[in-house]
Amino acid sequence: MTLTAWSAILLYFYFSGRISAFLHPVFRPFVLISGGVMILLAIGLAISPLSGDECCEEEGCAHSLGRMTTGRILTFLILLLPIGAAAAISSDGFGAGTMMNRGIVNDATGLKAARQTSLSPTPQQPVQPQQPTAADEYLPKSKSGNVLIQVTDLLYAAQDSSLRSDFQGKTIELTGQLMPDNINNPNGNRFKLVRMLMVCCAADARPVAVLVDGGANTKIPEMSWVRVTGRATFPTEGGRMMAVVKADSVVVSDPPEETMLY
Amino acid sequence: MNGFAFSFQDFSYSFLSILFEGIPFLLLGSLISGMVDAFVPAKMMTRILPKNSGVAILISGLLGAVFPMCECGSVMVVRRLIRKGLPVSCATTYMLAAPIVNPVVALSTFAAFRGQSPWVMMSLRLTLGFFIAVTIGFIVRQIPVEKFLQKSILDSLPGRRRTAFRMSSPGMPGNDLREGVEEPVQNLRIRLLKTARSASSDFLDVAFLLVIGAALASLFNTAVDQTRILPLATSPALSIVSLMALAFVLALCSTSDAFIAASLVSFPFVAKLAFLVFGAMFDIKLYFLYGLVYKRRFVVGLLIGLFAGVALICMRLSQLNL
Repeated sequence: MTLTAWSAILLYFYFSGRISAFLHPVFRPFVLISGGVMILLAIGLAISPLSGDECCEEEGCAHSLGRMTTGRILTFLILLLPIGAAAAISSDGFGAGTMMNRGIVNDATGLKAARQTSLSPTPQQPVQPQQPTAADEYLPKSKSGNVLIQVTDLLYAAQDSSLRSDFQGKTIELTGQLMPDNINNPNGNRFKLVRMLMVCCAADARPVAVLVDGGANTKIPEMSWVRVTGRATFPTEGGRMMAVVKADSVVVSDPPEETMLY
Repeated sequence: MNGFAFSFQDFSYSFLSILFEGIPFLLLGSLISGMVDAFVPAKMMTRILPKNSGVAILISGLLGAVFPMCECGSVMVVRRLIRKGLPVSCATTYMLAAPIVNPVVALSTFAAFRGQSPWVMMSLRLTLGFFIAVTIGFIVRQIPVEKFLQKSILDSLPGRRRTAFRMSSPGMPGNDLREGVEEPVQNLRIRLLKTARSASSDFLDVAFLLVIGAALASLFNTAVDQTRILPLATSPALSIVSLMALAFVLALCSTSDAFIAASLVSFPFVAKLAFLVFGAMFDIKLYFLYGLVYKRRFVVGLLIGLFAGVALICMRLSQLNL
């Protein structure tokens, strides 16, 4: 019964597509395989004509708790109730409280050390806004011609001069969740555009954010998904080079198909 | 903010994600364990290992390179292998080393530490993991198995005699040789059913503990303000101890923990090394899982010994300015 219930939960999450919010793509097929193997095990055991004595010399034919009455209750309480309740209650993303608890990263040096550059702020190179670069040929664009990027692209660009020149001054478009910014907000018109960066599963996901100079758009409720269109800038603030989007528009949008970044 | 803010939805989300990530590996370990139970004759393990118990322990520390296994799966495999006659000292060595000394973990560690001396971190992690696992194996070899193995495991050792816990030479109480038991010849159908029954039994036993460990890790992951641990990064000794404690609570899989460690940029290199070595050998879910094989007192002793050993070695390494 336990195997069947677990299998049903795994297969439900896989086939409903909800698994994408929980696991890195690499791990998702394992959920499908596990669900299938569990249901096969459950069926095999249900129709098995063998008695316990025939197939096992030891105590291995039933798990140790299953052999006791209190154990069966414990099995229900531990193996079935929590996962069943969690599957029924769980959302497909973290709330603001957990994001705050994990510490929102707005500096690529706080991420894994891809594209490691000098940690100290480098002098800003004068880059002409809208100057065509070789990157224009491969950067994805929206229908209106804006460069489509992710929060992490801007964070890495703040640390890497070659990446920075690809984005600086260009009109970009990116999606994320809106959170208020109480630290780097001298004029009160900024908010954080947050995405979760996952390594393996949601439990290890960390919130990453860029700052958006958004003006009056802060009336949008916290944690709403928004699409920001604006200009990428990289000012030095507090001794660090920051990624700040000067927003032309901030509109509420649907969550992207993949809510996590990898 | 008082440092603790619980949300049941967020807790459930984190809890399920840990289970979804861990269950496939748990199931794989259970299936291997079931196949070992059904297809591996009791004497095979003693035949394939060298007669010299010291060499056998050293080889066991490297077996993860051939049979890679994460920490969740290795406990079940080891439990079954002990019942099949693998010397307990070798089994313990494999159990501790396999989650670190394996190609998947080596690659993930290297990838995660790009730009942060990846060769050094990968080499140190594997070397330290191997060294500590083998050391524990040699210590275990000196202890009579009755003192630390669970009674259910002891009772299931076929041909067990009170004075026959040795592999090749007398006076080695941590090595159990099981002789004199001929397993009945069974056809393939019965063996496959036996595999299924053993695998299901092992899976449910360990899943029970994985659920508890995942719940505790999720509670910490979602409810506790983790930015409050950052001040601990200022002192080398404190940073090592605090990251080891964090590894214990987070209970991450050894195949992915390097990515978390690499992201703890405020902490020194050796503190991350301690996180990666200790966390793969002992964490909150393993505390429960090890209890399936070893007596609770031994598990606590193992926890203290590993914690002290890894901490002291890493503190010594920190003086080398790594």
